[in-house]
Amino acid sequence: MSVLRSFKATDMFTFNNINLDIWTETYNVGFYLSYLSRWPDLCCVQESPNGRQMGYVIGKAEGSNTEWHGHVTAISVAPEYRRLSLARKMMTLLEMVSDNIYRGYFVDLYVRCTNNVAIELYEGLGYSVYRRVREYYGNLGVGKGGRDEEDAFDMRKPLSRDPGRRSVRTNGRDMLVSAHDVP
Amino acid sequence: MSSALDRQVRPIYDALDTGSNKSAIVTCNKILKKQPKNELVKALKALALVRSQKVEESLVLCDEVLAAKPTDDGVLTAMMHVLRGLGRHRDTVVMFEDAFKKEPTNEDLGAQTFLSNVRAGHWKSAQQIATKLYKTFQEDRYLYWSVMSAVLQANDMSTSIAMRPVLYQLANRLISSSPTPSFHSADRFHLHLSILRELKLYDEAMKLLDSEIGIHICQSSLVCNEMRRDIYRLKGLLIEEGKKAEILITEKKDRNWLEFLSVIDATFSTVDSDKDATIAECSRVKDLFTGIMENDGKRDRSGLLALLELEKRCRQYGLPTDSTRMVDLIQQYFEKIGDKACCFEDLLPYVHLAGDDLSRWTSFLQSVPSTVTTTNELQRSTNSHKLLRHNLAQSDLTIEAELSRATLYTKQYLEGLQLGKDLPTTELQPADDLAILAGHAFISLWVLSNDEKYLLNAVSLLEFASSKSKQSFRIRLMLIRLYRILGAPSPALEHYRAMRIKQIQNDTLSHFLFSRSSMFSLAPSGDLTLMSEYVEASQIYINNSQDTPEFIVRAFTSEKYSQIPEFISFENRLECSLQRDISKLEHTRMRLAFEPVSVDIIDMELIESKFIFDREHFDNRDYKVMPNYQPRIQQTLNEQTLLFGKSEGLGWLWSFLKLYVRAFQHGSDLDETVEEKLLIGDRPKHIPNAHHCPLKERLHQRSEEELLELTPHELTYIRYADVLADWLEPHHDYVRPPPAVVLAEAAKQTELKTGHPLKGIELPVLDGISNGHKKDEEAPPVTEAPAELTTFFDDMKARFEKVKEQSSPTEALAVACLMQEALILFMLETLRFKQASVVKIHKLGNLVASFKAIRTHALAAVRDVSAQLVKMSENEGTVEQRKIIVDSCAEVTMSELDHDFVLNVAKKLSDARKKVLEGYGKGMLRVCTLYAN
Repeated sequence: MSVLRSFKATDMFTFNNINLDIWTETYNVGFYLSYLSRWPDLCCVQESPNGRQMGYVIGKAEGSNTEWHGHVTAISVAPEYRRLSLARKMMTLLEMVSDNIYRGYFVDLYVRCTNNVAIELYEGLGYSVYRRVREYYGNLGVGKGGRDEEDAFDMRKPLSRDPGRRSVRTNGRDMLVSAHDVP
Repeated sequence: MSSALDRQVRPIYDALDTGSNKSAIVTCNKILKKQPKNELVKALKALALVRSQKVEESLVLCDEVLAAKPTDDGVLTAMMHVLRGLGRHRDTVVMFEDAFKKEPTNEDLGAQTFLSNVRAGHWKSAQQIATKLYKTFQEDRYLYWSVMSAVLQANDMSTSIAMRPVLYQLANRLISSSPTPSFHSADRFHLHLSILRELKLYDEAMKLLDSEIGIHICQSSLVCNEMRRDIYRLKGLLIEEGKKAEILITEKKDRNWLEFLSVIDATFSTVDSDKDATIAECSRVKDLFTGIMENDGKRDRSGLLALLELEKRCRQYGLPTDSTRMVDLIQQYFEKIGDKACCFEDLLPYVHLAGDDLSRWTSFLQSVPSTVTTTNELQRSTNSHKLLRHNLAQSDLTIEAELSRATLYTKQYLEGLQLGKDLPTTELQPADDLAILAGHAFISLWVLSNDEKYLLNAVSLLEFASSKSKQSFRIRLMLIRLYRILGAPSPALEHYRAMRIKQIQNDTLSHFLFSRSSMFSLAPSGDLTLMSEYVEASQIYINNSQDTPEFIVRAFTSEKYSQIPEFISFENRLECSLQRDISKLEHTRMRLAFEPVSVDIIDMELIESKFIFDREHFDNRDYKVMPNYQPRIQQTLNEQTLLFGKSEGLGWLWSFLKLYVRAFQHGSDLDETVEEKLLIGDRPKHIPNAHHCPLKERLHQRSEEELLELTPHELTYIRYADVLADWLEPHHDYVRPPPAVVLAEAAKQTELKTGHPLKGIELPVLDGISNGHKKDEEAPPVTEAPAELTTFFDDMKARFEKVKEQSSPTEALAVACLMQEALILFMLETLRFKQASVVKIHKLGNLVASFKAIRTHALAAVRDVSAQLVKMSENEGTVEQRKIIVDSCAEVTMSELDHDFVLNVAKKLSDARKKVLEGYGKGMLRVCTLYAN
């Protein structure tokens, strides 16, 4: 239960309850504006009935030929609104637009190898690990997870344009690449 | 470009890219020796000069290049950067326009000309150029550019209201003439709909929306669907919209809350005309929502919340309904969603109950078990506390009752910590909100009793909670507010920094740090922390004015028209941010205490503060990020914890700004005509007719409403400043040298510095007026010094004596700060009369003689207060002081939150007080020494 609406530039004035969370980065103004000036339909906000922002997703379309796909750049939900399936709804929208408007072959996203909650969520949505990207994230200084803390899984979900599921593979967790080899 | 030249200039570009401006200049000079007329090299040199802050030299080159009306792509691009660096956006536009006139078939040049108008916000010429581009090159996008520009011109604040519909009609004509229909892309479609909506051509809009392709676009484009929803509502099609929404909810399982609202709006759309039908419809929709609720179960809470909203509206419209149903539903909601953090917020609109309803609901909540052995129980218990607290009546808010609540919350919090003890430090503790609730209760106790010990309890508990949950920004925000009230700015700054505030947050959240911060500035004693925080934070405004226009340009080139009005509004709200200018003013106040007042500072501050004075401000400060669980009959937590209970708004800004603009005008020789000639770069856009009366009159107006935002001490200071300004203004105006003399001096200085004469200024013959004497006017009579100027210091000193007994030094610092400021203002206002020649020529001996008595009096008072502050600081940071604080915190000192922890908090607090008292006191003494003679 929430309002799903487009992300607007002026939402930057009110996204603090989401962005003050440690896992969410506040980028420079140009970051948000560059996404909105190219892929506004891949950016949306979930709002509570009384107008507070609950979460948002920012995405883009990229790649060439059969690598043409929708990409989830940032997805975040404020701490008090977690476990309400908000991420699921925003992902559904992003997949729908990547499929219908951009005609991409798949949608992909990056997630910390230690973030089991998120990985399970994405697996539940039909994503699977395509490859493991070494040292994709900067160290947060938490350290407990060691290498897993910095490595990312690149997870993918094929869209209707890829009925043969050529964009995914079953042994993705074993496919190691370095951070320089990914866009 | 010839390859030889290319080889020559490549190193210049490389040097510029890597920021080696010096070496770029050297290379340019080498080439210019052989090819003195090379425009590209000149332009690049101008760029390197701008980037090394050599503005005057750059201006000369820049104007030479412009005069040659360049058309070469490289020259134009370089010049675009030069002019941007100089803030001369209008000249960029002219440069491109001239180039395009020379080469009207150059499409790229045409597009650049259009985009340069976009950057400068010149929508009218942008529209004309786009039309011309469309005619010449027959590209659809140019047509849409011209449509968008017409719409933006209509929306521009400088466009008269009468012109707006005309421009929209023009936009409509243009878009209708397009050979390809607007549904070619979602953004063109959106633009088309927005025009039709503005012109109230709903039927035409409906035709587009109800077409097959229109329906398809709205299904996958949120912006278009939002526009569609709006048009349906404006057209009064609530029932049709409700039907559509119902299909989405039932068939597509859409759970967007907007769809549920549409169904509910449709249900009540006939309530005035046909009540019976509404009642029947209500019961049908009730069944619909009940079905959804049962079907969705715990997966989604829309159905249940929709039932609540339906019931609320039934009651609003006085439709028959079961009297117990509202509370039944609320309780049902709590049963089901009570273990989620959002339950409290979801229920807020529905729990404003009274009478039997309220007592039933209250006893229900009281029966929620207060056990916290599982996370679910903890969340339920927390929610029940929040909801109970929300509805507390005045009679429930006694010291005893609040104290027992505070104790209950604290105990439960400490128990609840067990649940999260194994979580990594990056996670929030599930019990955090109980600590936040306890903080609320302690703050409420402070409000009720005015006893500081409750704030100390709150700080100890919240510090503990923060140590357990390092990522909780809500706990930190509360601590920042409390430390400021308690006169301990340095731990407040620590917590502020720990939140990693950056980028846009420097606008929306910096009020937590900068609000009335000059009273905590230790700059005069050498600690520049706050001033540099300001400089860092204000970078966001520079970034905005440099970067945002580029993204508006990008949105045009990628044809994302739906975003353009939003980007413009964003840019404008940030450019004209209230917080920007409030903190700028605080910085000015800090700066004046830090640097000795001089003509240079006065001139610079005058120009900046006058720009601010003409802005239409927007308040972007985020206060909602503060938690609020105070009873609804009380003030919010945000209001309760503002320094002195007052937030600075526009009234506060105007009050101080008028004071300083007047003082700077008095001290400066730059009158309007001089400023016009000497200023480099564009002035901010002005809104015609927004201000009917001239600046000078506006500066003299003080309205009750504005003054209400001031604290009593600030108000006294403003009165003092007005008396001082009124007294000296006639003399300043008479003595100030005429513009011609000021300009001649400026020209002389520029020539000395750059070797070139000042451009665009024709100097009149100066014979006879060089001494600045205005012969045709009579000198204003010298009047006796107003008594208020000395009594102000007596009055403030008396206030200081009174407030210094309070254990928090905050108010004492506020009084001391204004006294110091009053002294500096006096020095600023009398600076002009320090020149012996001025006094002699204008026979101002008597006036100047009366300054001395005031100054001596002011200095004595400020010195005395400064000594007292230092004395007060000696009592802080001691074992006794710590013990007093620790003893005050008995309410929260239990189990894990032990004596040692509280002692550390006490040390931190008392040390911080010591630091600010000592630093401020010593700083004041330094200011006194500076102005002793």
